[in-house]
Amino acid sequence: MNLFRIALTAGVLAGASTLAQAKPIAFSHGTTVMAEYGAGTMTEAQVFYAPKYFLSLGGGYLELESDLDHRRREITYARANYLLKRWNMEDAQANVFVWGGAGQAYVSELNEHEFAANAGAQIDYETRRVYASLKTDLQRADAFSHRTDTLQLGIAPYKHDFDSLATWFVLQGRQYTGGIHDGTEWALLLRLFKRGAWIEAGVTDEGKLQAMAMVNF
Amino acid sequence: MKKILFCTIALLTGIANAGTIEMKVYGLVCGFCAQGIEKTLRKNPATSDVVVSLEHKLVAISTREGQDIPDAELTRALTDSGYDVKGIARTQRSLDEIRAELKQEKK
Repeated sequence: MNLFRIALTAGVLAGASTLAQAKPIAFSHGTTVMAEYGAGTMTEAQVFYAPKYFLSLGGGYLELESDLDHRRREITYARANYLLKRWNMEDAQANVFVWGGAGQAYVSELNEHEFAANAGAQIDYETRRVYASLKTDLQRADAFSHRTDTLQLGIAPYKHDFDSLATWFVLQGRQYTGGIHDGTEWALLLRLFKRGAWIEAGVTDEGKLQAMAMVNF
Repeated sequence: MKKILFCTIALLTGIANAGTIEMKVYGLVCGFCAQGIEKTLRKNPATSDVVVSLEHKLVAISTREGQDIPDAELTRALTDSGYDVKGIARTQRSLDEIRAELKQEKK
């Protein structure tokens, strides 16, 4: 089933008008450093600085490795993230982010580097107990076009506060286009964060490690 | 002489009582939100301490002796951080008292 359809259904079931995940902009004048290991298929590292609460600038490195054949992309990019719309509610927040950037990609089957562009969007909704996000990220070059769609639905067993540890159980569904992975990759994750430090880890339905760490300061 | 004494006492009382500003803020749902707000408010030279409670949608600050931060400046600081201010009040309780009350509630 298409991830967007799943997300829409989940949002309706949760009584949520929009869907949430780690945000590409943490807070104004904040720096975000993030690294993700995606089940051997995707590895990404990013650094962003936000001069405004609605804008962050930075760059990253993304490696996509097909589990269907031997194709591999190593993409280094500069990117701008923009908060298109935020809804601040009494007990909830929802956001729409968009981003775009450009860089260079190594294409393994050609053994060449190419110019690559990227664009994406994220819509999220969160309270202190429920959380949902849908993210789509497109990487494009002459030799390839890969879109990664990620849905996350989270539940917190208790409400955390500023100085306490936040614990979340997250269900993640991810689809890749362009011959990286066949079908939807599901993962169950345990997410922990406190103040500016965030760590999550879990396993996919194929028993592979899915992990992410992030620091905001 | 009496007038000067009265003014001095009034001023000192005012300074002693005007130290805590409590703000009700919408959109506070995670530690990152609170971290950003705390960082922004601590940059203000008039701020001496900050307490954030997600449970109460509360951002409270204490100001340094003899100093105040205008409502417009506080609203702008929180709006520029990406949050909505729903109310600002100057109160008598200290930040230590607020912390103690929050701690007591958790028990």
